[in-house]
Amino acid sequence: MIVWNRACRSARLSTRPPNPRRCLSQRTLDRLAEPVQSYISTSRDPYLNLSIEHFLLQKSAPHSAILLLYVNRPSIIIGRNQNPWLEVNLALLNPSGHGQPETEPPGLGAVDLVRRRSGGGTVFHDEGNVNWTVICPSKDFTRDKHAEMIVRALRSCSVDRARVNERHDIVLDQGERGADIDSRETHRTPYMMAEADGIRPLKVSGSAYKLTRQRALHHGTCLLSSPNLNIIPDYLHSPAKPYMTARGVESVSSPVGNILLDNETFIVAVQKHFTKLYGTTEDAIKVGDEWREHDPVRKGEDELKAGDTHSKFI
Amino acid sequence: MSVSKSALVRALHYTSVATRPRNTCLPRSLSYRQLHATSRLDVVKPFLLADIGEGITECQLIQWFVQPGARVEQFDKLCEVQSDKASVEITSPFDGVIKKLHYEPDDMAITGKPLVDIDIQSEISDEDAEKLGGTNGKQGPADESVAGYAVQAGGGSEEIAAEPETAARGTPEQAQQHRPRHSREDKGSLATPAVRHLIKELDVSITDVQGTGRDGRVLKEDVHRHVSQQTQEPVSREPTGAAVREDRKAPLTPVQMQMFKTMTRSLNIPHFLYTCAADMGAITTLRKKLNAAATSPEQKLTHLPFILKAVSLALQHHPLVNSSLDTRDPKKPALTYRGTHNFGIAIDAPSGLLVPVVHNVQDLSIAEIAVQLRQLSDKARNNKLAPSDFSGATFTISNIGSVGGGVVAPVITEPQVAILGVGRSKLVPAFDENEELVKKEELVLSWSADHRIVDGAECGRCAERVRALLEEPGRMMVEMR
Repeated sequence: MIVWNRACRSARLSTRPPNPRRCLSQRTLDRLAEPVQSYISTSRDPYLNLSIEHFLLQKSAPHSAILLLYVNRPSIIIGRNQNPWLEVNLALLNPSGHGQPETEPPGLGAVDLVRRRSGGGTVFHDEGNVNWTVICPSKDFTRDKHAEMIVRALRSCSVDRARVNERHDIVLDQGERGADIDSRETHRTPYMMAEADGIRPLKVSGSAYKLTRQRALHHGTCLLSSPNLNIIPDYLHSPAKPYMTARGVESVSSPVGNILLDNETFIVAVQKHFTKLYGTTEDAIKVGDEWREHDPVRKGEDELKAGDTHSKFI
Repeated sequence: MSVSKSALVRALHYTSVATRPRNTCLPRSLSYRQLHATSRLDVVKPFLLADIGEGITECQLIQWFVQPGARVEQFDKLCEVQSDKASVEITSPFDGVIKKLHYEPDDMAITGKPLVDIDIQSEISDEDAEKLGGTNGKQGPADESVAGYAVQAGGGSEEIAAEPETAARGTPEQAQQHRPRHSREDKGSLATPAVRHLIKELDVSITDVQGTGRDGRVLKEDVHRHVSQQTQEPVSREPTGAAVREDRKAPLTPVQMQMFKTMTRSLNIPHFLYTCAADMGAITTLRKKLNAAATSPEQKLTHLPFILKAVSLALQHHPLVNSSLDTRDPKKPALTYRGTHNFGIAIDAPSGLLVPVVHNVQDLSIAEIAVQLRQLSDKARNNKLAPSDFSGATFTISNIGSVGGGVVAPVITEPQVAILGVGRSKLVPAFDENEELVKKEELVLSWSADHRIVDGAECGRCAERVRALLEEPGRMMVEMR
């Protein structure tokens, strides 16, 4: 990071204008050293968003805490070590590529398939789903810490059915309201039902992690108002699954539901609770397509597009 | 004199850590190795996969960032592993050179077990020493003794087979027998900080531990041995009428592990069993006469050398039973007719089942075979078998009769295609040619063969030929070269 600073400074001092393709603004790079940072992406491109996320993980100061929020266009994100043949109905991804007219549902057009760098299962992203990422020092990291933060944010928006479950996911309990529970208790709600009794809770957010020596990245989805709930099962169900055994982590599938909140409300609540947890920060910094001009981000994006960091499929 | 020398060495050692700048004239590895207080065997250490938390016991190895021979610095990335939702990068706590990777990409790596072997070329703190094999104080005594052997094996040789581990196991036992040169003098100065930390963790008094290092120094292996000796005694004194019976998980010993791996591969072989009973009367009479004339106990013959020679003579006529099958390419199985008869002899050794090999049985006389068998079993009993003693077997003979048994169904080891199990001979009533009741000494021979290569008739003919040779030893004389 220091190297980039110097390159930018000297470029500016010389008579030639700085090469815009080489680096981000000095201010942006300085901010990577701040103890608390909050970012929001204006891009809907999953490759770019994941690449920005990875760049923040690699380049941010070791003791800093970072929040990044982004929304992707319809895409399927599979985990680091998953087998797409088992997890995804690949035939649905590029309907026009097969020369068939788009008369069959789901009619979403081309859906990207991206392999992220953290572990975990396969998820479907669209504009009704907001993704949140927290990067913090690894010695402070626990798997529940940020899931609890999101639950607190949801509860502040009157979503009191939300809680963190044993797998560190966020679910909405479906039962009738029972005895009151302290609202600060993030692992239980008044609506909990025993497993045997009936309806399973609806999963609204799944998490995945990437742990390096100094930094821990925890990111998750949040289904707010996806119009595609009924077709997600079609995409995430592979017709080949009963006929194959393969290595790789399997997804644990759960019934999903919308929280029915709009994106803006959720984003503001998460930013507020992040600030409460880690300290004050300026307004969230917008990131977007202009970050593509920064070499590491572009390289990361190319890696993701190339079908991945260790080719497993096609 | 030696005490002051070691104190001087220690003083220099600590000085070098505190004040020596990185770019002195002495090459780093040379200076640290000479002043390093642990013994030479400990230089290459297995680095254990640390506990990732969440009760996770194993995770999948996704990719390596280093290869054997690569030089790493502290905090360089070694590999990436994944467990359910978390993708974790493992970094090296030391400077050093990677010697061996314990897993391939996509293998499941087990927490607490070695991940890589590193030739450490930096000072290691006590905290870091715990990440290495043989020093994890949180494991039970059984785990410690296995990890201790891993240290020996890692430092001793590069081979992965169980044989060097069997040989290496002999070394701590032999070290036990050496008297420490300076037994109890000034114990306080004769252990490195890493060892003393371990002693504190395991709650052992340093004066109780015999040091086998240079100048009576206490090494990590000494501490582990002391602990495992201590736990053995209370176990043997446990009253048999104990009210509480608990399950005990135990990791597989190196010998067990090798047996597990070999026999798992043997699951692919379709075995069939052919048994026949040989009348050992003639052989027994012959043996008694020869043994009476023997000048020393070592010259006494059992029936096993006779059986080995009979099998070798029969295999001259049935070379298919002595062949080797290579199934690495399942579409193209490769059959090799072996020129020599190398018989693996199953031995029940103190450490478990071992199968050393008598080579070139076709060229040995029965007396020479007997000498070889005796040598092998002595070596096995004393854990002195070398890797060359285990290699090249074309056929195996398992004399389970030394324990007991009649009909047995022995398991073939790849790449052999047959195996013979010899039961215990016993006196049975039988009819002779005049249809009169007589006593017969019967020995059951159980042949297992790989039905992909050997058919029942071929195996049966070979078995009957062996039986005929044993029942009339004179025939063996006629066929011998």
